[in-house]
Formats: sequence, structure tokens, C-alpha cells
Amino acid sequence: MGRKTAKRISLGSAVLVVVLTGVLQMQAQSKTPYPAMDALDRYLMPDRNAEIALARSAAPDSISRDAKVLVLGPHGYETAVEGKNGFVCAVERAWMAPFDNPEFWNPKLRGPICYNPPAVRSILPMTYKRTEMVLAGQSKAQIEEGIKAFAKKELPALEPGAFTYMMSKEAYLTDSDGHNMAHLMFYTPLMDSAVWGAGVDKSPVMLNPQFAREGIDVFMVLTGMWSDGTLAPVNN
Amino acid sequence: MVATIMAAKGEVVNGRAFTAVAALMFVVIPAFGVALPSRAQDDKTLYPRMAPIEQYMMDRNAEIALARSAAPEAISRDAEVLVLGRHGYETAVKGKNGFVCVVERSWMAPFDDPEFLNPDQRLPLCLNPPAARSHLLLTFKTTDLALAGLSKTQMFDSIKSAFDKKEMPLPEPGAMCYMMSKQQYFGRKYGNADPHLMFWFPKTDNMFWGAGLPGSPVYVHQYSPEPITEFIISVSKWSDGTAAPTD
Repeated sequence: MGRKTAKRISLGSAVLVVVLTGVLQMQAQSKTPYPAMDALDRYLMPDRNAEIALARSAAPDSISRDAKVLVLGPHGYETAVEGKNGFVCAVERAWMAPFDNPEFWNPKLRGPICYNPPAVRSILPMTYKRTEMVLAGQSKAQIEEGIKAFAKKELPALEPGAFTYMMSKEAYLTDSDGHNMAHLMFYTPLMDSAVWGAGVDKSPVMLNPQFAREGIDVFMVLTGMWSDGTLAPVNN
Repeated sequence: MVATIMAAKGEVVNGRAFTAVAALMFVVIPAFGVALPSRAQDDKTLYPRMAPIEQYMMDRNAEIALARSAAPEAISRDAEVLVLGRHGYETAVKGKNGFVCVVERSWMAPFDDPEFLNPDQRLPLCLNPPAARSHLLLTFKTTDLALAGLSKTQMFDSIKSAFDKKEMPLPEPGAMCYMMSKQQYFGRKYGNADPHLMFWFPKTDNMFWGAGLPGSPVYVHQYSPEPITEFIISVSKWSDGTAAPTD
């Protein structure tokens, strides 16, 4: 992976995109701005309606308006709005990032995401599980071990076509420049990133090892468009 | 890009092997369960029969370059490249990364596409390894049938029979392709259309990608007679990194 691509990825999403490069690994080792979980209140959104709106902004209104919407409470995600099209929208927090991401505990991160029905059944349970362990006060190491066991024994099999929207203009995915990136995510069994031509110069596809511990690859496709239809920057 | 997509919203036709955002525009709803109309095999078209074979041929080097332009150079420079000969596709350049780049012709368009058999269409795509092992065989078969001079009805029946008898493979997991050539040409109506990626699955009506809904960059195409579902993701840049038109 080239330096340019790595830079793009790191800018794109700390929640969902990867720290793959040596440069960023060095950053992670030498600079850990978020070494541990912050006070829980800093991860919560006090305005429930604001969280609902942010969650829905992950996908075009034509999809999210009929989606089930979750909000994060002190004890986990709760259903705020019942849906009727099978999609589920939520706002992920920093602990959904790869475990070696230096922003794993960044309380500012907000990752609005809308899951399609196959992803609701086979990907969303990981969000629930990680969040449950975080809110139970487990360390990152404990969560990592716990998620491995969960993936092995309890996680439903990955369904073909599992897919999510992350096209919110209001997302905050990283402290790095830009903070955000409009994209879609496809979930597959682990495979060589080269199979999709991911991460190479000028490719709109990137591999995100967010769920590598769980045995799932996440391929991201940059859309160049926010959920409201306005143009989003794409830095190839 | 957006305008091209929006211009076609609401049009729903049935079709077969779809290789264009132009064609995907016709079929934006079925992921949410709207049945496609049956194929009108006797539709009047601008191209009622095959043109002289020479009109579908290209200069070999130009075809290699056009095929490679479907994907960013970082992918296509190490891909196998096929060119169309009088008897089917031939390997022009051996590859080493598992991708295969090829310029499809208009017989890969939906059967009821008015530009089916348009000799001017040039549809470059680079298939990833799972697609090269599965979906590319459909391109080969359809091309063989076209070059053998079969009618559309005969082609349709032959392809249907091949899938019914399981002589043709369904898309492998992860099968996809790049279609990002600035030089791609879908015919009179859609011209160069938009850069996009395509993902193939065994036919499904229940993946619900939000395809074809207002604001979604995702489109779906249900093949017929092949039991294949194709999802198309519009992207914002051509394979050379330049921005695609936004209006």
C-alpha cells in the first residue's frame, strides 16, 4: 500500500478504516491521545433526537426514513424508532474501530451507519457485543479476547450481500484532517485485498480490517456523494 | 454522474447481461420486490440484426489499451487482457494478478436494449479473480453465440438452457468488476455514462441494498434468463483519477 493511499485511509475514518501503515503504527505507539476509556457521558449524546437524526443521515432519506433507529444509552443500544424496511441505523462509537487504532477510545467519534437486512443479522451483533463489553467496563484486551470468542461461538454466519451505508455529512470519524468520508461497506469472508483491487492507487476500493479479529473483511467503496445528494470529497 | 442516473429513474425494463450504468438505469427497483416486466424479445430496435463482423472489431493495440482503461492502472497493468477475434475472445496479454480486462460488445447488453447489437458499443471492464472464474464464462458464451450468427431468440434460449442444465457457473462469492473507463461507450443514449463498479450474486430478491431509491448510489439489475443479480455502485472518478461529470 502506498503512502498516499495510507494517508487517505487514515484521514478517512478512524472508526472504520484502518491503521495499516508503518507510519500510523508508529504514531499509535508514540502518541496515544486516548489511552483508555473516557467518562461514559462523553460517548453519549444527551439529545436523543439529535442522535436519531445523525443515525438516519448515514443513508439517503429514502432508505433511512423507514429504518429502525437505535440510540446509545448507558446500558447499550436501545430502539428509538421502529422500522419497516429492514434497515437499521445507528451511531457507532470509537470502540468499533480496529483494536490497534489510536483513536479506539476517542469520545468525539460518531459513526452514523445504516445496515441492510443481511448486515443487521450478521454484522450488527458485533456492534452490540463490543458495546456491551465496553459498557461493562472491560479493557481493550478483554474486549479483543471476548470478541474473538463471540465470533467463534455466537456470531451468526456472515450473509451474502451484507452491506452498510456511511454517507453522513455530519459523521466524525477521526481527528485527522477531513474527519469524514462518504462510503459504502461490503462484508466478506477474509480474503486477499488484492482480490478486489483494494488500496491501490486511484482505486475507489479500500480494505478496512475493522473486523479482522472476527474473521470478516470490510471493503469500502467511496461514493463521492453524501446522503443528502451533495458531492463529497474523494482524495484518490 | 448524478444527472445520468436521475434521468433514468423510473424506467424499468427487463434485461440480460448488463454492463452499463446506462442499462442499470432501467432497472432500479427490483431489490425492493417490484417485479420486472417480461422480456419483449420482439421489440423493434435500431439494430435488428448483427452488423458485418468487421464493425465490431478493433485495432488490437487499441483494444488492449481500451480494455485496460476499465480499471486504475495499478490493477490493469498486471491483468490478463483479452481481445475479440473473429472466433471469440483471445488472450492478448498474459496477466499475473488474476484480473482479466476485456472490451465487451453490445450483445452483452440486455436483449431488449434498443442498442443490442449496436456495433459502436465498447464496454471495457476488468473482472476480479472470482468474476474471471465465473462471470467471464457468460461473456465467452454469449460472444460465441453472437459470432455464430444466432438470433436473439436463439441466444436467449441457449443461455437459458445452459443455466438450467447448470452448464454455466453462478457468480462466485466476491465476484466484481471495475468499469471506470473514460472511453467506454454505451451507445447513442448514454454515451460514456458513468464510472462504476459491479458486483454479481446468484439471483436474489432479498439483499435489500436500497438500490434505485432516490439518493442511493446503488443500482440493481436482475439478469434474464441468467439467474444473476447485479449491483452497480456509481463512483466519482474515472480510472485515470480524473473526476467524472457531475451534471
